[in-house]
Amino acid sequence: MRIKKKKNVPSEIFTGSMADISFLLIIYFMITSAFSATRGLDFALPEDTQTPEIKQEDSIDVHVMRGGVIEVDQKGVPIEGLLPYVAQKLKQNPDKPVILRTDPDATYGDMILVFDELRQAPDKIDMEIKTISIPTRREIENLWSMLGIQ
Amino acid sequence: MALFRGRERKTAAQIFTASMADIVFLLLVFFILTYKVEVDRTKMNLPDTWVRIKVPEKAAVVSIAPPDSDPPLTIRVSTGEEMSLPVSTDEEVVTFASTEVARNPNKEFIIKADDSVPYERVDAVLDALKQSKVKYIFLLSDQKTVDE
Repeated sequence: MRIKKKKNVPSEIFTGSMADISFLLIIYFMITSAFSATRGLDFALPEDTQTPEIKQEDSIDVHVMRGGVIEVDQKGVPIEGLLPYVAQKLKQNPDKPVILRTDPDATYGDMILVFDELRQAPDKIDMEIKTISIPTRREIENLWSMLGIQ
Repeated sequence: MALFRGRERKTAAQIFTASMADIVFLLLVFFILTYKVEVDRTKMNLPDTWVRIKVPEKAAVVSIAPPDSDPPLTIRVSTGEEMSLPVSTDEEVVTFASTEVARNPNKEFIIKADDSVPYERVDAVLDALKQSKVKYIFLLSDQKTVDE
């Protein structure tokens, strides 16, 4: 009796559908991934133990009002004039803090515009503002009531 | 001169697709590596700034929707690991932030607000975070460009 030789079937992994699966996954990732903003302005809040008492007269008072109007130490200043004024004050006292106050009816964008300008001090005036304080309305009112100002 | 010309062979037009799988894999790897779940999907126009610091991953998020959204000026909070949820009062922001700070005293917080939001709302959120003893706050922004 003749025995037939077995045919050798090469073993292989079927990869024909791999491209389809990849396309499916790529479409899923493209649809669900979002290019979200992951950068912004940072600031650290002082801890209770090291909170310095900043008096208005010992600081540079920047007041942002409705429409982005800025007053620095009760004088109207355009945004371009803010850092030169701060530079003058920092030359007299490099540790002088800046208090950034914003009116409730101004917009967040107005406040950010000024805060961003102050943060650019090292590049624009070659000086660093060591402290930028952003007091909240409650903190300002508490301070006023402590000082007896209505 | 040859009297009989040989029949011209017809070559079927085709697009070479052998490298398509490689390109698709490359794109797939890119998307897998850069994929991030956005915990807050509130549509808004962020303020533009020149100074932009990278915000830490897994930072908690407090978002304030624009005044023209529906409902307007909604505040949403997220731990940074779960999708954001709306809160109705400033006290709820204090409770949320206090819980997060109790878990991790150095927890960073991101304020994500539309640039047209009245500062009063941002002030209330800032105050809530200060009351909760938050140490680090990031104000999310877009890149400012020369023509703006």
